[in-house]
Amino acid sequence: MTIHSEDWGGLAGRCVSVTIDQHDITFGCAKKVEEAFAELMEEARPEAVFIVTTCVPEIIGDDFDAVADAMSERYGVPAMAVHTEHFKCENHMPGVERAITACFGLMERQEKDGSVNVIGQRMGRFEDTELSRVLKNAGVPIGAQLPSGCTVGEIRRAPAATVNIVVNDIGLPLAKKMKRSFGTPYVLFDKFTDPAHIAVAYENLFGFLKRPLPPELSALRREAEEAARQAKDALRGVTFMYGNTPFRCLECCAYMTSLGMVPQLIQSHGIEEEDREDVRRILACADPYMTLAANISPLQYIYDELRPMLYLGHEYPMRLRKKGIAQVHTDMGGGMLGYEVTGYLMKQLLASVEEAREIREGGMPR
Amino acid sequence: MSLTRFLPLPSDRMGILWSLLNIEGSVIVEYGPAGTTHYSMGLFGELGIEQENRLFTTHLREEDVVMGDTSRLEKALVEVDENFHPAVIFVVASSCSAVIGTDLRGVCTMAQPKVKARLVTFEQGGFRGDYAAGIKETYRLLADQMVRPDTEKRKDTFNIIGASVGAYRCKADALEIQRLMDEAFGMKLHAALCLETDLERIARMGGAELNLVLRQEALPAAKLLESKCGTPYVYGAPYGYQGTLDWLEAVGKRIGRQVDPRLAGKLKKRAMEVGQYRMYGRMLRRDRPQAFLYGEYEAVKGLGAFLSGMGIAPAKQISAHSLAPLEHAEEAIQYLPTEKERIGLLRSLRHTLVLADDTSRRLLEGDNTFIRIATPLIDTAQVAAHMPLMGDRGADMILETVEAYFNTLR
Repeated sequence: MTIHSEDWGGLAGRCVSVTIDQHDITFGCAKKVEEAFAELMEEARPEAVFIVTTCVPEIIGDDFDAVADAMSERYGVPAMAVHTEHFKCENHMPGVERAITACFGLMERQEKDGSVNVIGQRMGRFEDTELSRVLKNAGVPIGAQLPSGCTVGEIRRAPAATVNIVVNDIGLPLAKKMKRSFGTPYVLFDKFTDPAHIAVAYENLFGFLKRPLPPELSALRREAEEAARQAKDALRGVTFMYGNTPFRCLECCAYMTSLGMVPQLIQSHGIEEEDREDVRRILACADPYMTLAANISPLQYIYDELRPMLYLGHEYPMRLRKKGIAQVHTDMGGGMLGYEVTGYLMKQLLASVEEAREIREGGMPR
Repeated sequence: MSLTRFLPLPSDRMGILWSLLNIEGSVIVEYGPAGTTHYSMGLFGELGIEQENRLFTTHLREEDVVMGDTSRLEKALVEVDENFHPAVIFVVASSCSAVIGTDLRGVCTMAQPKVKARLVTFEQGGFRGDYAAGIKETYRLLADQMVRPDTEKRKDTFNIIGASVGAYRCKADALEIQRLMDEAFGMKLHAALCLETDLERIARMGGAELNLVLRQEALPAAKLLESKCGTPYVYGAPYGYQGTLDWLEAVGKRIGRQVDPRLAGKLKKRAMEVGQYRMYGRMLRRDRPQAFLYGEYEAVKGLGAFLSGMGIAPAKQISAHSLAPLEHAEEAIQYLPTEKERIGLLRSLRHTLVLADDTSRRLLEGDNTFIRIATPLIDTAQVAAHMPLMGDRGADMILETVEAYFNTLR
């Protein structure tokens, strides 16, 4: 990704590496990393360096916290170790979480300036979201955006924000650290799909900002609720499997269940404390199977057993179609926040329900 | 000299994986963290390799690493066997399982009675060299374990050993070789290691009349098949017009046949025609034509000879992979283990014909002329299967850029 996307620095960008070999495994790779660090400082002189580990250095036990400290001292540049031993977790999210959290080491105490930081926005540009537009219209300045879209200087000044907006759970550890150290409150404003949840998130945010709720929010909520009301008849009784999507998994499933849809299998990265209420809402209406997300191949034989109409998230569309299942594309939702998520979800669901019916009635090629 | 600014060289593990993924009827189970497999899949997709239901991972947890528990792998083998019914499961070590010293062979021996598929292990895990070492070991192991020694001979058939999908235009080159072999001798391809093949064709490789060895990494496999199945082999790859003719004549000599005279005549004529570029070079006042080649050893060697024949002296010939797995490497071709030295060389080039990869292209001054001969692909995709680097068709394509290059010289 860093190679192909100029947004991430492109080929000659900010992600460089150190290749380790058998010798380094036997004798440790710290020396090689120090040499690479020296080359980096000579060529690029960055304002900060994140030393991201991988499985092998973590297994052999090189002390990268010590390496980072030593490099910071030697070159006078903040260096932070980010531990990403993948054998201790199930997916890439803890890595993003730790990289964000490591930014805390760069932060310096500031006077509060009424701005907000956005923590946890991974896909799409925050500037393109409804939440961003609402904040802009209300005259609220945006501070640091982590993990992408900010500079080292903006991270340093991040404690000036009045509120941290956490748009994904991966931002919670940093938000909690900032609350403890700088007194910055945070609001969890994930990609909620239920207008009631979105309303609470907006209320909390503007409450911390000590500003009145912008009047435009009423219209936006009405629009989202109207989209759901119009979709409800078509969605009632529609069975689905939930895969890897940008939405908050159990919140989204609970909302779809509340619209009369039937979850048969939910793939999730885990169940957090914040998800308990959504779990209860789902179980009040259905009793779906649950499994770990992003592991689609071993699930294929279950498709024939459950025969869902819809599959939300990433899969091979032709494979699904052969089994009479329509895929619900959700990737665009990755760049949305606020009531716009509800409208988008309803639109995608309706299109896919229609497709599923056509596939099953033989109107579309399987 | 430890920093890697661009893409690191793929390891032996990657060479093993992209070779095995080309064998239909088999499935790969990688014993390692899911992310390790996940990120390699991005590269395989770019190389155009079909992966659906072919590549699985067990994931690896901390307790597996600390306690050496391999039950996760045993369960995965049974699950894959029951659900996908492959004839062979290749069990491949990841860097993690290689570092903790998992005895994959031992685990597979224990698991073999529980599955119908045959279990074949690769224990390298990414630390025994770069991808050249990986493909070398894959060809050798397949020749050793998967080829039946007693296959009946089929006249007018040949195998290719050393087709590596990591090589730029690999598929097109294989098609060009098939066309040349058909035109020159009326011979057809039986199997290609490892390109779009299957277990049955590999098992019957011993029935071919000849093995064509396209790269030195494939020599151990060819020698093994010569002793095991009595199949003779010819080593070399056809680059340029004269190079293609020489290669065909070497093949003809090995099988006791003449190259089709029409094809031989056409290649001779083209080889003579391109000789005039030498004269163009001598007519220049300011510049002297020179080439810089960076890519796979065999391509660098073959294309370097082709350009030399046109009076374009290779100023530098650099192998993208280590030369250690090769039996013999020409002195003129170097491997630079550190990226910095290569960057310095590329940035210093002026008025040069550069045959290299997309990364190199980004480092060039504007007065150079570039031809892509190697992966990784950054700025484009590989779609056409009719545009080889090998054979007279490959030479034609390169010649078009050579013509453009001469137009930049004074």
